[in-house]
Amino acid sequence: METILNTNVEIKVGFKLNGLLYEKSIPANWTLLQLLRDGLGYYGTKCGCEIGECGACTVLLNGQAINSCLVLAPQIEGAEIWTIEGVADSINSLHPVQRIFIEYDAVHCGFCTPGMIMSTIALLLENSSPDENTIKTALAGNLCRCTGYVQIIEAVKKLSGIITEKDLEKFRYSE
Amino acid sequence: MTKYKTINPTTLDEALETLNGCNVMPIAGGTDLLVKFYEVYGKSLPKLVVLDGLIPLHEIKTENDRISLGPLVTFSEIENSPELRKAAPQLVQAASVAGSVQIRNRATIGGNIANGSPSGDLIPPLYVLNAELELSSVNGRRSIPIDKFFKGPGITVLEKNELITSISFDKTFENGFFLRLATRKALAISKVSVAANYSMQNGTITNVRIALGAVAPTVIRAPRTEEYLSGKELNDNVLSTAAKLIKEEAKPISDIRSIADYRREMVGVLLKRGLNGIPQSE
Ligand SMILES: Cc1cc2nc3c(=O)[nH]c(=O)nc-3n(C[C@H](O)[C@H](O)[C@H](O)COP(=O)(O)OP(=O)(O)OC[C@H]3O[C@@H](n4cnc5c(N)ncnc54)[C@H](O)[C@@H]3O)c2cc1C
Ligand code: FES
Ligand code: FES
Repeated sequence: METILNTNVEIKVGFKLNGLLYEKSIPANWTLLQLLRDGLGYYGTKCGCEIGECGACTVLLNGQAINSCLVLAPQIEGAEIWTIEGVADSINSLHPVQRIFIEYDAVHCGFCTPGMIMSTIALLLENSSPDENTIKTALAGNLCRCTGYVQIIEAVKKLSGIITEKDLEKFRYSE
Repeated sequence: MTKYKTINPTTLDEALETLNGCNVMPIAGGTDLLVKFYEVYGKSLPKLVVLDGLIPLHEIKTENDRISLGPLVTFSEIENSPELRKAAPQLVQAASVAGSVQIRNRATIGGNIANGSPSGDLIPPLYVLNAELELSSVNGRRSIPIDKFFKGPGITVLEKNELITSISFDKTFENGFFLRLATRKALAISKVSVAANYSMQNGTITNVRIALGAVAPTVIRAPRTEEYLSGKELNDNVLSTAAKLIKEEAKPISDIRSIADYRREMVGVLLKRGLNGIPQSE
């Protein structure tokens, strides 16, 4: 299903967000993070440092994890973006990555969680059974001030046994 | 609200034409530019030329024994290129330790060079690969060796209306390494880095090229150490002397990231580790 949402002001960008097509006019100096939060009201993507250091703003851009605070909105013309809001298929059926994070106590205050989950999905897209070092490298750009990381790493290890291509296919980018 | 304009060209000519205007600058991955944008440019914000749409500038090309990279090739693309892994191991090692996954997916080689930081991690590898840069503007093209490009920290010979349009070097198939020290493994800028390229023939080292990052106003070569090592057998004595020599060639300063003495000491340590084949620790 594809819907075109139109709002009006300033520079125009067309992009796909969580499977829906958008065309939106926005101030040209907005970052993707501002577009998501202030422009579209998707507050799931968190705003931490705004300089690429914390990973709270991580989203998928064409299948890759990126910091949305360091992408200028006009740079996403034609791009495909996934945020935490698009991860579960419905409110009643959490995605396996979300379920395992909860099961393993990998969520404490939850501020880092949307970013952690998007980085985890990006990792699983490349490698569905990563070893511990690969997991650490993949999550090195996401800071967590609560868990001490152990639960998060255990959760991602657990996922390698149970994640299926069906759980990942919607996030895959095909040009 | 202060606003800046952005322009999304799809051809190089269009981009160069736009860059030839007043108060305009290019944006590639934006990982340097967006961090310092407001701080540096304050209220007189330039127009930004978004380079993403210039498809040929994203390519890694091979012609005979030469490899050329478009300036928009990202750190991740370098890290994952089987061709570069063989032909330019030091460049691949540098690309894979910089920043974080998120940064590597956006940061480009052209941005790393144009930014002109002495701690830019791809620069020492490009020095030891003897890379050539192609610079283009509405007035034409020129070619310049990488070691003639930098004038000081953040200062380069790039004219305001010029783009770096290609970075090329010979495939080496020799030995090479890149090692760095930073406050932590991820998301930290190098305090010191060492890159090298060399051949081993009958147990002796030849064709040695060594470059040092973050220990002088620009990346520098270490010619005296290179000369000393040339033709030697790599034993403990030789490595210790080389480490001593290279410490004298480094001209570090003390700043927020480290102090001069530590940097000088570590240049020697990294050289020894690299020549001993010790990889960047996980
Ligand atoms: C959190 C974080 C961590 C980082 N870690 C590292 C690290 O470990 N190692 C490291 O080396 N760097 C690091 N950086 C710095 C940065 O990511 C790199 O320098 C990167 O290569 C810059 O490329 P870019 O495409 O993002 O450049 P941009 O920000 O788009 O541009 C940088 C400058 O170059 C100019 N420019 C870009 N492309 C061209 C071109 N083709 N021709 C002419 N001018 C051009 C722009 O106008 C601008 O002035 C880090 C940055 C952040 C935010
Ligand atoms: S808010 Fe983007 S990395 Fe911290
Ligand atoms: S759970 Fe609080 S920052 Fe990670």
